[in-house]
Amino acid sequence: MSVTNWRTINIDALDPDSPYNFDLSTLTPSVLPIASSEVQSTANQIRQLLRGGDGEGALRGALDTAPYGADERGKEIHLAAVIEILQSIRQSEMTPILNRIYGSEGGSEALDVLMKYICRGMAQHSSPGSAVSSPQATGFSQMGSRNLGGGEGSGQMSVLLSWHEKVVEVAGLGCIMRVMTDRRTV
Amino acid sequence: MSQSLRPYLQCVRSSVTAALSLSNFASQVAERHNFPEIEAGYSPEALLNPLTVARNDHERVFIEPSINSVRISIKIKQADEIEHILVHKFTRFLTQRAEAFFILRRKPVKGYDISFLITNFHTEEMLKHKLVDFIIQFMEEVDKEISEMKLFLNARARFVAESFLTPFD
Amino acid sequence: MLLLDYQNVLIESLLKDRFSGAPPVAIDQVVSDFDGVTFHISTPESKSKILISISVRCYKELVQYGAQAVLEREYGPYIVDPESGYDFSLLVDLENLPEGQEARDDLIRRISLLKRNAMAAPFEQAFDEFEALQEEASKYTSESAPQGVKEGGEVRAIHYREQEAIYIKASHDRVTVIFSTIFSDETDRVFGKVFLQEFVDARKRAIQNAPQVLFRNDRPLELSHIPGLPSGKGEIGYITFVLFPRHLQRKRREEVISHIQTFRDYFHYHIKASKAYIHSRMRRRTADFLQVLRRARPEAEEKERKTASGRSFRVQ
Repeated sequence: MSVTNWRTINIDALDPDSPYNFDLSTLTPSVLPIASSEVQSTANQIRQLLRGGDGEGALRGALDTAPYGADERGKEIHLAAVIEILQSIRQSEMTPILNRIYGSEGGSEALDVLMKYICRGMAQHSSPGSAVSSPQATGFSQMGSRNLGGGEGSGQMSVLLSWHEKVVEVAGLGCIMRVMTDRRTV
Repeated sequence: MSQSLRPYLQCVRSSVTAALSLSNFASQVAERHNFPEIEAGYSPEALLNPLTVARNDHERVFIEPSINSVRISIKIKQADEIEHILVHKFTRFLTQRAEAFFILRRKPVKGYDISFLITNFHTEEMLKHKLVDFIIQFMEEVDKEISEMKLFLNARARFVAESFLTPFD
Repeated sequence: MLLLDYQNVLIESLLKDRFSGAPPVAIDQVVSDFDGVTFHISTPESKSKILISISVRCYKELVQYGAQAVLEREYGPYIVDPESGYDFSLLVDLENLPEGQEARDDLIRRISLLKRNAMAAPFEQAFDEFEALQEEASKYTSESAPQGVKEGGEVRAIHYREQEAIYIKASHDRVTVIFSTIFSDETDRVFGKVFLQEFVDARKRAIQNAPQVLFRNDRPLELSHIPGLPSGKGEIGYITFVLFPRHLQRKRREEVISHIQTFRDYFHYHIKASKAYIHSRMRRRTADFLQVLRRARPEAEEKERKTASGRSFRVQ
């Protein structure tokens, strides 16, 4: 008993009425749970479209079927599919595609979802703390470790960064705000 | 500015601008208190989804918005041991002067080199777009400063070494 | 001020002042030099008799490597019994100075090099040993040389600072001088590494005839038999200078010995100087940042307010 440091205990966490234990799910719009197998099959359909050369259709389809109700694994699967689509679309086609999506019905919502995926994609590779660079302890390290700056992640990042820029151009800053405020996460 | 740096900074600029929509929000926990919700973390409903803007694994910005405060953490590029130590020295130098910087957090968030904490009081008395300008300029200059310091160090080392060895020649 | 002086400037200027013929005054000064060396200059008996004493922490080792002989050669008639608390003393009588300005300047120069001369003994001994070994080795082909000639002589260790030492080893074709040095913090260590890398590279790039410089964190092979040496840790480094026969010629000897002695202090001096410069840069850059941030604060417009009668006043 005596080993417990009472000062470090967060008593709010123990009080069911405390705002600390506010039930966030009451703020979240209800979403239907989706099994990851279902997400997988949707992702496969989307990839089919992509292989058929219909990048825009694949993107639209992916954004409309965002699996809010899926578990972590299901979301990962869908994220991978979206990123694959984003990487396969050429730089020059980005703005026309975004303009067409934005102009269509429900286009604004679709771009919000796209923004969510872009942000998620950038966060994915970089969980803080995991990629702490470790300088070598001995010897001359400044020669060997030059390539640290541009790992394999940077290619994907630059694609996402240019998508980010284009989406903001088309849909405005509001879509970033909606990413921050929407409790439905992808 | 290098080709890949521009979209990165642009992305940070738009994200920070979006996140800097703050309003006054008194604490729900303690009466007559008003603290940054992002730091206190007492009211989960006052916190928003955090964003990451990344250029690669070694350069990224982590934006944690909440109703009355935003925490912006920057991880500065460190390609080798020298840059690592220079970044460490520089950020420590800055955080020791945090009082003068108003928005500088005295301790960086874990995994990042330097953090800023902007509250609604800052946005009320300062111009928001200038605050964003400051963050962006900071990121640009820090990279430049670090690489300049490194170049200086190498140049000095070379000069010093040659001066010492020349009398032997 | 790029390279360090070999002599002690304070002693030099003090003696110059005294020797110039000014009326003698009483002196009692303690002068510090690099590596914890302390001088004491005083006039214990009369104002015209200047006693100069030196204290070196490794004096015992230096004597073991022949310091007495070197100092006697340099200062012969001026040597007196060491003052208590010091290792070696000289007495200069102002009324009995050598004739001629040149001879006097030479004396000043020699006395101000007291530390250098004391520390030079092991180097001179090693250089002599090298000559002997070279002579002997020339009698053999490289394969048939007996073990002793091949391996070279013993390692002379001078523990001139608390945790740092110089090791000197003579072989038949070279003299190896190893400095062990401590980096007091992480920044020193990293900066030191950058500097040493340039020392290593300088030979390849610009100065072909310079001594070879090697750097490592664990102890070099030459020192492998010495017990109790710290090694493998980040804060200690071993810097090896390999002096080749061209550096060991009799006529260059004095210069080379003086120069290599200053290495450790020169090296650390420049690390510290770089740190200071970088610090001042950061200070300037921080001021720039503050300037940018200040722009975010809208100018509080100072409107002049006037009372009805037309007098202006300030809101307190």
